[in-house]
Amino acid sequence: MARLSITKDLDVMVEFEGVGIRMPRARKRNVNSRLRRFAGEASPEQVWRLRDITLSIPAGQAVAIFGSRSSGREALLRLAAGTLIPDEGCVRRQAKVVPMIDVAAAMTRNMTVRQNIYVIGGLLGLTPSVMGDLVPRIAHLAGLQGQLERKLTPLTNRQINRLAWSIGVMTGERAFAIDETHIGEDLEFASTVKERMSQMRAEGVTFIVASDRPELFLDDWDRGLVLDHGSIVADTTLAEATVVYEQLGGTDVDDDSDLRTEETFEERDDLGEEEVWEEGGDERPRKRER
Amino acid sequence: MLRMLVLRELQTQYSRFRFGYLWTLLEPLVLSIILWLVFSVLLGPRHLGLQPYLLFLSVAMLPWWWFTKGINASVRSFRRNAAQLRISTLPTQFWVLRVLLVSTVEFLMSLPVVVIAVILTRDLPGPLIVFYPIAILAQFLFMYGIALALASWNVIAPDVARLVRLAMRGLFYLSPILYSVSNIPAHVRPLAALNPLVGILGLYRIGWWPQEIEDMLHYGVSLGIGLISFVVGWVVFRRLESRVLKES
Repeated sequence: MARLSITKDLDVMVEFEGVGIRMPRARKRNVNSRLRRFAGEASPEQVWRLRDITLSIPAGQAVAIFGSRSSGREALLRLAAGTLIPDEGCVRRQAKVVPMIDVAAAMTRNMTVRQNIYVIGGLLGLTPSVMGDLVPRIAHLAGLQGQLERKLTPLTNRQINRLAWSIGVMTGERAFAIDETHIGEDLEFASTVKERMSQMRAEGVTFIVASDRPELFLDDWDRGLVLDHGSIVADTTLAEATVVYEQLGGTDVDDDSDLRTEETFEERDDLGEEEVWEEGGDERPRKRER
Repeated sequence: MLRMLVLRELQTQYSRFRFGYLWTLLEPLVLSIILWLVFSVLLGPRHLGLQPYLLFLSVAMLPWWWFTKGINASVRSFRRNAAQLRISTLPTQFWVLRVLLVSTVEFLMSLPVVVIAVILTRDLPGPLIVFYPIAILAQFLFMYGIALALASWNVIAPDVARLVRLAMRGLFYLSPILYSVSNIPAHVRPLAALNPLVGILGLYRIGWWPQEIEDMLHYGVSLGIGLISFVVGWVVFRRLESRVLKES
């Protein structure tokens, strides 16, 4: 397949050099696997998720990544942002790349909108000094003005995703790695997203976005990448990439469907906070020592 | 950022209970008093530990409390914060450090218990009390090292957390908390020196009972092993870090 590449004479923002990474095979959660897990089954085997990726993303470029769920597009985003360490090769960054990858999963449902903005904003790189100013603006962007003291529980997933996206883009960084959870099928919100991102793009911000419908985010994409089974099969314009991706079968359903978000929550439930802090209290000796 | 995370955690922990900070004092104090009643009053003085026994107990009880709470909680820190790890560009070890710092703050806030015990027993420490802060530092390093290794292992095999809890129970009796090093039969003492807690608890107690450090070699070995644990823990964590990130 064609491996066209577009070069712009700009500084490099992110650079991949012969990058490969093995990931544990995602598992489906069912009673059987939970039982096996409980019985002490080790983590599942690791499979090569990305192999031999060499890629250079200039500062200010907007790159759309196409690929099915098991193509390694999430791994690519996480590697670009530095929340994964490659097993082979190296990833170089010129500046911080904000990892907007399933941010909603990191939110705490029984905390208020304001508290979540502080915690998530902090993780994504906002400092407490600028936070006070930004909190109302983030809430406004997410369409949650006047609901700062509300807990997340009554909010819909769509609202939570909007909040996640708003916190991310307000960090004011120069580069973003965004996955499809942050806009997905939320068409009503698309115009807000587009407006904001076009504005940032004009300011020279770099975007690496994994999405099946990148046109929802931005009008003028510089580049489209198509990933298939861990390698780049096309590196070209957005229009061509869309065609290549459709030829591949588009949004195919994979053997390896990703249920990781759900899993993360479940696992955290396994050993709740209560248990952790109540433990250790009963060291009272029941028998005489020696 | 780290400071914010620590403060946040402390805040949520204390706002949940009505007596908040009082619990930090009450738990170890009541436990010390119970143990003192059992071992000193009910069973009579049987040369277990050193006198005054209430003070002897509480001086070691607080660090032990810090040790179990800190380790038990930090072993789960990567697993509990998987979703946060995915979006955080902070150094990975911060998640362990945060839990550890929370327990350290709690430990420091529970120190008035020692003051209460000193007042009750009217036994002021000698000049060797200067080793007290050194003991805190040594314990922190030791805990940090093993917490990093255990938390990383726990990501790969979730059973580690349970195993650790069991090991803690055993370690309680294998460390000189209820008893003094002089209660350990002489021929077992070299073995006991392999436990870093022997050296660390010794440093805490030396201010009141200089005779606790009679065998410098054993304490040196014990503290040395504590330091080695820190280095080993750090190396293990570095090797497993990419695995931890992948599993998050």
